[in-house]
Amino acid sequence: MELEIKDLHVNIDEKEIVRGVSLRVKSGEFHVIMGPNGSGKSTLAKAIMGHPKLKVTSGQIIAEGQDISGLSADKRAKLGLFLQFQNPIEIEGVGFVNFLHTAKRSIVQGDVDVNQFMGEINALTNNLKITNGIVGRSLNQGFSGGEKKKAEVLQLAILKPKIAILDEPDSGLDIDAIKVVAENINEIAHKHETGLVVITHYNRILSYMKPQFVHVMVSGKIVAEGGTELIGKLEKEGYDSFIPK
Amino acid sequence: MDDLKQEFVDRESEYKENYGFHDDIEYKFKTRKGLDEEIVREISAMKKEPGWMLEKRLQGYKLFLSKPTPQWGADLNKIDYNDIYYYLKATDKKGSSWEDVPDDIKKTFDKLGIPEAEQKFFAGAEAQYDSEVVYSHVKKELEEQGVIFTDTDSALKKYPEIMKKYFGTVIPASDNKFAALNTAVWSGGSFIYVPKGVKVKMPLQAYFRINSDKAGQFERTLIIADEGSEVTYIEGCFTKGTEIATVQGIKPIESVTAGDMVLTHKGRYRRVYHTQVRPHKGKLFSIKYYGDTSTTIKATEEHPFLVVKKGKAEYKNTMWGTEWTVAGELKKGDYLAIPIDRNKQTQEERVFSVTIKGRWGNKEELLRLKMDKDFFRLIGYYLSEGSMTGKSGDSYLTFTFNKEEKEYIQDTASLLEKYFGKKPIVQKEYKNGIGIVLSSTTAARFFKDEFGKGAMNKKLPEWVLHESIEKQGEMIKGIWRGDGSFMNKNYTHGAKRMFRINTISKTLAAQIRTVLMRLDILASLNVQKRAGKRHNMYCVYVGGRNLAKFASVVEEETVEEIESGNEKMLVAVKDIQTTSSFAEIVGDYAFVPIKSISYEEIENLPVYNFGVEEDESYVAGGVAVHNCTAPIFMASALHSAIVEIVAHKNAHVRYVTIQNWSKNVYNLVTQRAFAYENAYVEWIDGNIGSKINMKYPSVYLKERGARGEVLSIAVAGEGQVQDSGGKIYHLAPDTTSRIISKSVSKGSGVTSYRGLLHINKDALRAKSTVRCDALLLDEHAKTNTYPYMQISADDADISHEASVGRIGEEQLFYLMSRGLSEEESIAMIVLGFIKPLADVLPLEYSLELKRLINLDMSNSVG
Repeated sequence: MELEIKDLHVNIDEKEIVRGVSLRVKSGEFHVIMGPNGSGKSTLAKAIMGHPKLKVTSGQIIAEGQDISGLSADKRAKLGLFLQFQNPIEIEGVGFVNFLHTAKRSIVQGDVDVNQFMGEINALTNNLKITNGIVGRSLNQGFSGGEKKKAEVLQLAILKPKIAILDEPDSGLDIDAIKVVAENINEIAHKHETGLVVITHYNRILSYMKPQFVHVMVSGKIVAEGGTELIGKLEKEGYDSFIPK
Repeated sequence: MDDLKQEFVDRESEYKENYGFHDDIEYKFKTRKGLDEEIVREISAMKKEPGWMLEKRLQGYKLFLSKPTPQWGADLNKIDYNDIYYYLKATDKKGSSWEDVPDDIKKTFDKLGIPEAEQKFFAGAEAQYDSEVVYSHVKKELEEQGVIFTDTDSALKKYPEIMKKYFGTVIPASDNKFAALNTAVWSGGSFIYVPKGVKVKMPLQAYFRINSDKAGQFERTLIIADEGSEVTYIEGCFTKGTEIATVQGIKPIESVTAGDMVLTHKGRYRRVYHTQVRPHKGKLFSIKYYGDTSTTIKATEEHPFLVVKKGKAEYKNTMWGTEWTVAGELKKGDYLAIPIDRNKQTQEERVFSVTIKGRWGNKEELLRLKMDKDFFRLIGYYLSEGSMTGKSGDSYLTFTFNKEEKEYIQDTASLLEKYFGKKPIVQKEYKNGIGIVLSSTTAARFFKDEFGKGAMNKKLPEWVLHESIEKQGEMIKGIWRGDGSFMNKNYTHGAKRMFRINTISKTLAAQIRTVLMRLDILASLNVQKRAGKRHNMYCVYVGGRNLAKFASVVEEETVEEIESGNEKMLVAVKDIQTTSSFAEIVGDYAFVPIKSISYEEIENLPVYNFGVEEDESYVAGGVAVHNCTAPIFMASALHSAIVEIVAHKNAHVRYVTIQNWSKNVYNLVTQRAFAYENAYVEWIDGNIGSKINMKYPSVYLKERGARGEVLSIAVAGEGQVQDSGGKIYHLAPDTTSRIISKSVSKGSGVTSYRGLLHINKDALRAKSTVRCDALLLDEHAKTNTYPYMQISADDADISHEASVGRIGEEQLFYLMSRGLSEEESIAMIVLGFIKPLADVLPLEYSLELKRLINLDMSNSVG
């Protein structure tokens, strides 16, 4: 799968947040978008996934050769897109496992064998070190910050998207948890050739990951692109040096 | 006259006997419309009641007149009391076994599945048909323990002392206008008495329905649980139907789910985006068409069908222009459209994964097969003559031909060797048959997996249905050689000349017909019921103008004809004289005339429907139908029941209702329980249907330690008012109570929670929890909360919580970003919201509630 963002402009209400972003991601590639708070990274991620409140004022989001900017979020998910939420939503009474099973059935558009599915969930719960388990709990409700992040990765592993956008998979995690999350993401992406777009404003998680492409986003625009050398530059000079004079 | 037509005419009368139903119930006794003292007296006289009951009725009638219509809640001023029949009696007999129930009523209940439900889930069931209970039965063990479960009218005759002692003591006629009305005209309802110490473990269930328009229903339920006893009583409903063409084959409509690919009227497969079930009141049409006697389509009056109206004689339907026409306007002779699935996916080669069970576990084997015409002929041979044999049931693939069919035996043997690389063994003749056995688990498994095992389960997989017509024709040839015959009979009214393929697999018969349509051959499907335990035989017939086409497919250019006398001689098929056919294939449709159409009136029967992407249509019972979108309008009906419960010392009574009345019913029910020392009463109350529902189950905690709970769920869709809640009276020390209410409203629907918590000054150390949560599904929906408290004791421990929430954009976006559609997401959030209450219900009811809510959440109107 190839996802191509062409000169995308996105508004929240009347305010322009994303101001002309172009990006090209293929399955199997690993991209990182870095940028300071408020630079529009999360808005970009949500716009790609089809948040109803965000308005694409110009530009295109092209997946599998078609412009998907008019499609609802579920249709984009079925095409193979996935968004890891920075703040996963809690929903009372909706069983996590039941929800994920329903989601999986929607994505594959067919039946999903329950035994096999439960086996997969158990293995992932172990891999991700979710010590309280996930079975029998409501969707994200009563989850600790770390559990929520891990549960998002678990969903990623089950739904096996072609391209996944991970919005700050590391925020709020302690150093051990960051390592577990990063290793799991690496493994999933490697196994299923998932295209990754990791959004972060710290480089902590990147010490466990090997991105190929780095994009720096400031004030709604991509201001620099390159390889991992950019991460080093950012570490030394901060974002200031990327702000166009 | 055309052969096929005659065949159908022959069968016509048989059908009338078997299927023609007009559910016209003959009412034995019916009061005139409206209400006056004379009608009250008539009802009592009809029932041969004792004088004290007549007195109570008359008193109730006076109170009904004097009491004003309540103005504090939903609008009840539009009820026209003069436009209601207050008493309808459908029959004189009341059966104690199902066999005694009159046939017409039995038929109705059979459709609703009562006896089956009874056996599976309930200890005893009562079914109420309008006013009189016609069926009651309690499992023997319960009778032996002294448990009484009967209708309230019988209870009045059989147990007058208990009735006199308790009737109207919990809810006096003076309680409210509708309690007074019920007291005046009550009929039917359930009476339960559970003796001391008896614990009834299985729930008792009753089923109520309003049959005729404008019939009020005023049942009266009385439950007495003696000291230390336990009982659960459930009131509610269930049902299913129609076969739908999906990419995986024919499926019953109730198991179609969102995401399934169904055949549409355009002959292509499109995705189902939502499914829906709703209770239906009104006409249900039964439609049969020529060319398929195995199918009756049942549809609601407003369901649109794709049809060609019967042409005037001079036009003779030369145009075949289709239009959507609702079931209610269809006429005998109109043509229904059968979309022909002309999708083609042809492949030169296919790879199949076959699982081989071995001594050391399962093993996957890849089987690569050339998809040429010859292979499809082999498929045909398997469908007609193939089976599995061997110790484990599938180690040998066997074909059995008649010993005369030397050519086919040779053909099969060489095909098997060609595709599976192994020479089969041709067995010795046995009972006129010759078997060909291939010792290959892989081959046996392949045929079993793809085409079914056992004659009854034979079927075609999707990849065969969509192969090229050349290959499919070759398959038909194979089937024909095994299971086909040429019918050749002369009758006084004409001759029958038909090709026939017989099978006992209904699915395969229908699929053969489908494949033939792709070949532009219109076949008809007849089912023959056979005596004893023999399976139904499904016959695919080809006759009339299609004879020659079929003959060229199966390469039978000549057939044996009977000449005058009994001489047989060979005749070329093309020379057989045929007349016009009963139906036509034009382009991508086959048009078949309606043979019969009839309807019955139904109430509260679940009907199914679903939305299909782009085409908004599907193939039901073989023919194209549209999504059902028209609104339904019906006259209003009134349901005003009374439920009284007495729970003596240490008794536990649980009363469960899920009301799903159709959306024109006023449901005004008074429910009250008395709980004595340490007794425990639970009301579990689901309100999904009706136009206006007002129901506040109450518990009077009359003695020390009594406990009362009201758990209620209300769902108000478009145009509905759900005014519900609960009332608890703490009248003694150490009593505890809990009210939990969850309501969901959508569109113009309104939910109101109305609760009363009364704590008497003597009710020391009373404890109570009240919690009401409302969920709004959109910006138009409304909810109100009216919590009343009258607290006279100083040391009461009370907690009250209320919340109102709206489904948030963020919640929806989160669920949808994982692939769930908007409807699925909303339903999931709603089910999560009511989960704490749904979990308390017995499993079957919990599932039913979920199903009802799923359908209510869908956006389109049923």
